[in-house]
Amino acid sequence: MTTQTVKAEKKAYFRKQATKGVILHVLLILGSIVMLLPFFWMVSTSLKTEPEIITANMSFFPKGFHVANYRRAFEIIPIFRYMANTVLIAILKIFGEVFISAAVAFGFARFNFKGKNVVFMILLATMMLPYEVTMIPTFIIWSSLGLTDNYTPLILPAYFGSASFIFFLKMYFETFPKDYEESALIDGANHLQIFVRIFIPLAKPALITIALWAFMGTWNDLLGQLIYINDPVKYTIQLGLASFNSLSGEILWGPLMAASFIALVPIIAILLYAQKYFIEGVKMTGIKG
Amino acid sequence: MKNREKIGFYFVLPWIIGLLVFTLVPMIAAVFIGFTDWSIVGSNIRWVGLANYQEIFKSEQFWHSLWITFRFAIISIPLVVFTSFVISVMLSKNIKAVGVYRIIYYMPAIVSGVAVSIVFRWILDPNNGLINLVLSWIGIKGPNWLYDPEWVLPSYLIMSLWGAGGGILTYLSALKDVPTSLYESADMDGANYLQKTFYITVPMMTPIIFYNLIIGIISAFRKFTDAYVLGGAGGEGEFYMVHLYEQAFAHYKMGYATALAWILFIIIMFFTVIVNITRKYWVHTE
Amino acid sequence: MKRMVNAMKKTIGLFVVILTALILVSCGDSKPSNEFTIATWAAGTELSEFNEIVDKVNEAAEGKYVINTLSIPSDYYIKLSTQIAAKKAPEFFWLTQELISKYADLGAIVDLTDYMEKSEVLNADDYYEGVIQSALFNDKYWGLPWIANPFIVYYNKTMFNELGVTPPSETDDWSWDDFIEVSRQIAGKTYRGKSVYATVIEGNPNIETFIWSGGGDILASDGKTVLLDSEGTKRGVGNLVTLFRENLIPRYNTISYARNVYFERQEVAMYMGGIQDDFERKITLMPEADRFELGYAPIPTDPSGKSNPFDWTASTVMSQSVKDKDLAYEALEALTLAFFEWKIAPPIKGTLENIKTIAPDKVPALATIEHALANARSANYTEKWTELSDLYLWRGLYLPILQNPEVDYIDLIDKAAANMRSKIGA
Repeated sequence: MTTQTVKAEKKAYFRKQATKGVILHVLLILGSIVMLLPFFWMVSTSLKTEPEIITANMSFFPKGFHVANYRRAFEIIPIFRYMANTVLIAILKIFGEVFISAAVAFGFARFNFKGKNVVFMILLATMMLPYEVTMIPTFIIWSSLGLTDNYTPLILPAYFGSASFIFFLKMYFETFPKDYEESALIDGANHLQIFVRIFIPLAKPALITIALWAFMGTWNDLLGQLIYINDPVKYTIQLGLASFNSLSGEILWGPLMAASFIALVPIIAILLYAQKYFIEGVKMTGIKG
Repeated sequence: MKNREKIGFYFVLPWIIGLLVFTLVPMIAAVFIGFTDWSIVGSNIRWVGLANYQEIFKSEQFWHSLWITFRFAIISIPLVVFTSFVISVMLSKNIKAVGVYRIIYYMPAIVSGVAVSIVFRWILDPNNGLINLVLSWIGIKGPNWLYDPEWVLPSYLIMSLWGAGGGILTYLSALKDVPTSLYESADMDGANYLQKTFYITVPMMTPIIFYNLIIGIISAFRKFTDAYVLGGAGGEGEFYMVHLYEQAFAHYKMGYATALAWILFIIIMFFTVIVNITRKYWVHTE
Repeated sequence: MKRMVNAMKKTIGLFVVILTALILVSCGDSKPSNEFTIATWAAGTELSEFNEIVDKVNEAAEGKYVINTLSIPSDYYIKLSTQIAAKKAPEFFWLTQELISKYADLGAIVDLTDYMEKSEVLNADDYYEGVIQSALFNDKYWGLPWIANPFIVYYNKTMFNELGVTPPSETDDWSWDDFIEVSRQIAGKTYRGKSVYATVIEGNPNIETFIWSGGGDILASDGKTVLLDSEGTKRGVGNLVTLFRENLIPRYNTISYARNVYFERQEVAMYMGGIQDDFERKITLMPEADRFELGYAPIPTDPSGKSNPFDWTASTVMSQSVKDKDLAYEALEALTLAFFEWKIAPPIKGTLENIKTIAPDKVPALATIEHALANARSANYTEKWTELSDLYLWRGLYLPILQNPEVDYIDLIDKAAANMRSKIGA
């Protein structure tokens, strides 16, 4: 092959890659617009004046930048205090949930004890029963322990692992080749060391994922927090957002959208921070490849 | 038990303890409640045996809501699992601004249900909503979405697809663990993109696909928040959980509602077991 | 490995010890019997107003009793019933009228009839009849209504004048035939560039309004006899059907925003709603060109000449779990009287003047409001009401008519009544 034809082939190849890239980007951008539209409408509504919202003219853009809704939102509820409360609950939960779930998942993924499949099916089963019917008996139990108007019922169960996280991590661990442990075992490591020194670091993106889910779960859990918290001082952000209904049932749309948007910001910030863990290149451990 | 078995058991022990302490008692209570006429606020609670279940099977609302839910599940689950996977694969490449795209596609999953539902009510508005507005630009008169019985199911499917990006974190976590050596040897054998995806990526991802499939089944059958807020013309928005919720908290028939919950439980369990049984045929583990 | 096992055993042991300690600690937990909690669905700014009222009542009580607030901003009945189930019921709570019978029948609330009779400050006949009727079950009173929100007809005076239609009067009774006649004169005409309708009906106003419009009713006051398939009901529902069939109101599947928005955007001439609806305020927020003059009229009369405005009411009830019921009733009464000065309309006679201070922009409507309160009507509720109303009134009657006004509504009524009888008899 002459250098000229090689060059020409290379050019053609890159052009093809470029077109594929452009098509991909066009698709992704169109999809992005669809994904972002509802958020845009939320922000747009938060910047509309009351008459604009009332007359439901449904226009996409607000007539002006009416930031009074944001001021009003802060007047109606102490947004930052509620967010701080929620962060407190979330951090206390995540700590237990992530690591215990990982340990339990490790047990399911890498060992075969008697009755394992039955126990695993029970794990799945706990996710299937609608919580509406266990909610009140659970509350009665906590209430008889005097633990109402209290964050404990929301936090403590997390320290025993969470079924869906365990399920995910189990499947995730099952994608790891067995060679990792084999060589470590040969080197004399015990299973706890293997778990902590090998699996946990390698599973970073998965652990970040469930930490994210745990955080979002707390951030968005209205009903659980409603049932167990009475004192407005202890309110979480969801309970705060629920306070925008008036007695007659009419909702204060402008301030509510403003507050909802403010409530989204921490999560987006965390997402921005966490996503870099998904871009990291493949770790070269010498066993892979 | 052998030593290695014992170790595995100890790793799982925290969850078992949690189960016994926090979950088992309420679940057993729920079994009993299903056999009573408990009204939550009433001081008397009576044993009625199978009466709730008998009443359920004669109830038109039960069968109707079951059908609505089942029909939705059958269509949405494969649709969403597939879409989610495709989006994840597209976003696994290190293309320009991929980090931004990933956040954008995941964002629908971070908002809580009620706010989203309200926004979709506008998006799907027949007269002024976004979708019909865009359609009108290209000369199509959009349907009445939630106000037209025939278009209620598509409306909910659209909402589900919007949230399809929720699974990308699960796939992305695992995709980057696929050894590049596999792709390299495939390249050397002259495989094209589709072949590589189909013969390498997909099999390596099957455990994660399995996870998303099971979770998809459970959430499709337990669909509640948006259906409760948005409803749908002609009773097409009466999903099973909406019916259950009404029985429990509007009519105070908690015994009946609990029985409904157990029936749903059995149905979900049934489909999950089937998928679990097929697992050894298609889920690839090392 | 042995170390891990021992560590776990120790952890479990610690956990059990803590749990036992917590149980023991909570057993000594009991509230003083003059401390009462009231549950409310008020939240945000309204909660502050509510708390102010409660504070004033506490001050006046000078330590005899103390009332605390429990605000439930969302899913009110779920949290409330959960607390009751866990034997942690708030001593007082708000109940909407449809649920009073159910809670009474289930034994969750206290019969207040004797207290009301013996009271020197607040008796049953101080209330407007239609309002206190909402708290009646088995001939006993189970709650103290603290607000009344009867229906009136709001109308767009400017539109009426422009279209040359004679508007109804503020207090003179007009019949449903008059209403339909007026609707005929309005519907289909062009106003401000749009074709307008008489009003919008999409589940509100409730079916009771129409059933009563013909002189019919749903249940008798014994809560058991079904009156649904009477001639009066059929005539009344016929009014609704006429409005649809003659295209005097928009079809259900074309309605895409809230009822009040149609009225605010001047696309309909009339709006049947509660006296609390704040059109006055919204009009002041509109751009000058969009404003219109608001008119008020009573709900049209049934064939016997009586206007039947449906009245929505919330009552405060007393939980059966209260220990010192006499003291509690004192507190409840004081609280209720304080509420009468909070929102409109106070449900007791002779307080119309208060409306001037509570809601000054409702002053032009005062005459109509008085008329509505005097005629206010509540349905005869029963403990099975929520199911009966959902299954037979809504799904069995109202919704089918909304979806297809050509339907044989007489047949629907007969079927609904038959079903209701068998459900009640069951």
